[in-house]
Amino acid sequence: MGSDPDVLVVGSGASAVNAAWPLVAAGLRVRMLDVGVRDERYGNLVPDGPFEEVRRTDPQQHRYLLGDRFEGIGFEHLGAGAQLTPPRQWVTRDADRLQPLASASFFPLQSLAEGGLANAWGAGAPAFCAADLAGYPIAHADLAPHYEAVAARIGISGARDDLWPFLGPLDAMQPAVACDGNAGAILRRYARGPDRLHRDGLYLGAPRLAMLSRPLGDRQPTRYWDMDFWSDAGRSVYRPRWTVDDLRRSPRFAFVPRRLVVAFADGPDGVTVTARDLDAGTVETHRARRLVIGAGTLATTRIVLRSLGAHGTRVPLVCNPHTYAAMLNLGRLGDAGDEPRHSLAQLCVVHAPRGPAAPFTVGHYYSYRSLLLFRLLKGSPLPMRHGLAVLRLLSPSLGVLILQHADRPTPAKYCELRAGGAGGDDDVLHVEYALSREEQARIDAVEADIVRGLRRLRCLRLQTVRPGHAASTHFAGTLPMSRRDAPLTTAPDGRLHGTRHVYVVDGSVFPDLPSKGLTFTMMANADRIATLLARSLGALQSAHT
Amino acid sequence: MDRELRREAVVFSRYLVRAAPSEALIERYCAANRELFAHEAPSAADAAVLAFARDHAWAVAPLDAGHALLGPASLLRKKLLVMTAILETTPEYAARTEPRAVALPMLGLRLAAAGVAMAAGAAAGLALTLALRHGK
Repeated sequence: MGSDPDVLVVGSGASAVNAAWPLVAAGLRVRMLDVGVRDERYGNLVPDGPFEEVRRTDPQQHRYLLGDRFEGIGFEHLGAGAQLTPPRQWVTRDADRLQPLASASFFPLQSLAEGGLANAWGAGAPAFCAADLAGYPIAHADLAPHYEAVAARIGISGARDDLWPFLGPLDAMQPAVACDGNAGAILRRYARGPDRLHRDGLYLGAPRLAMLSRPLGDRQPTRYWDMDFWSDAGRSVYRPRWTVDDLRRSPRFAFVPRRLVVAFADGPDGVTVTARDLDAGTVETHRARRLVIGAGTLATTRIVLRSLGAHGTRVPLVCNPHTYAAMLNLGRLGDAGDEPRHSLAQLCVVHAPRGPAAPFTVGHYYSYRSLLLFRLLKGSPLPMRHGLAVLRLLSPSLGVLILQHADRPTPAKYCELRAGGAGGDDDVLHVEYALSREEQARIDAVEADIVRGLRRLRCLRLQTVRPGHAASTHFAGTLPMSRRDAPLTTAPDGRLHGTRHVYVVDGSVFPDLPSKGLTFTMMANADRIATLLARSLGALQSAHT
Repeated sequence: MDRELRREAVVFSRYLVRAAPSEALIERYCAANRELFAHEAPSAADAAVLAFARDHAWAVAPLDAGHALLGPASLLRKKLLVMTAILETTPEYAARTEPRAVALPMLGLRLAAAGVAMAAGAAAGLALTLALRHGK
């Protein structure tokens, strides 16, 4: 693997790659250590073509729509990972085995895939605004240039509509991708009288999506094939592994797969990382001037607690509470719903009774089609034959509103590492997570308000499903950013307090979570931390030469 | 075992889409059953219901309606879901599950007709389901 790099980066997910990018761009030598699980089964099976055409023509469709082991049928209750279709399930392969986790209340998705969990994300990419960052030791101005840099790198589409003050200003934004007829019908009704809805705190508009509406490099704009849960046609939806591919073109970047990082040791002149070679079964060390950890909140926490000998120490954990609401759009009844569409969020709903300067709630509305009708029958009280007939009539009017509520740390939400075997890599991360009665009541009240507002737009709630804690897959807050030099916290520049050369760039450092997907902000913050680090290393380099 | 599964495939397909399945679909249904259900023996009640359904194709509709209310997690419902999924992901049946435009009055009529049929099926199904459960 040649001489020691300047920086070791752990992980290849959204944070890690967007930290590696500015480091490599600054001329530093970067080595990325990652397990790097890849799709070996379904990727090449899914044909290029629109969903309807695939359904009518491909005799092999059952292989990826249901899975070779029929894993796409599944009888379990809706929970974390409900969105993982068979072609996406590789994302979690080996993760629970290699990163044991125990909990009676928290069942997260973990990933050791090349590109991490964002191989299966919904691509929602709102920026945090000033109100969202109220509890952070950094301001929006600190992140703003990095939102722009990441948006230009990965491609974010959106609109300058009523949601602009809530989703954060962004100049480097592509035009919004078109919504489908289902969402379009809701938006048209909204446009007829938004003032009354605004008085009640309800705002609608286009979602911010990491989905292209214009070409970007060798990636293509969405073709509205409605295949986004099944394939990555044209690479129109951003996946961090596209950035890994771009980084691989640089001679200063090395990707070392099949390495499970176990621990680090911070020394006077740099840092040493211990990793397990999963193929050889050996343990090896890597040295560098700096270490950047972006393995995903739970994996990063595990590495940090083990490295600092903090077994048994509780650290906080936050995760957006998650609700699915099945909706019936009465204004769409009778329509065939056969227009071209993409599969991701069609509409963004904001509930902000006190405006953008106070905390607010964000939801995304998805139309239901490409996940197939049989999934809806699973939980319905209808007989199958009549159920199919009814759903066939109603499905163009069905939608799913996904709400992810804000979350703050409390004593009832924490994790701690408990020692396993001698090697340390089978330590078990124990997680406890519970919402207080007050937190749940607040969530219920907000949801009731949103449902009332949508009813005015002739959208009725049919059913509410709470898929359980961790279902949002937005884990954060274990090593929160703090100006105070406290153990198991990070400085605003990402440095892990108590170390000199170790930086954390993923969701671990977010002290709390607003009601927004954190991925875009995680990427922007990783870009910010790495840019600062590149500057400091550049300055050090100049001083030495 | 396979004979029973093959019979189920035929009976369930006729119930769901009013057509006999191809040999490939029967094989796929058997494979799915081996993958999804072979690890645990069915309860006596589930076994009795399935045996009755295999021998009396007319009973699948009311049994489905009855179990939709009384036993949504029953083996019968799971197996019907598997056959539905297999049919939905087959080109020759894809068109039967695709949405299509329908005028609002017609939509109302169809939903009402489906509601009446479901209510009738549920009434018969509840009686049959209870009889099979108690008579097993």
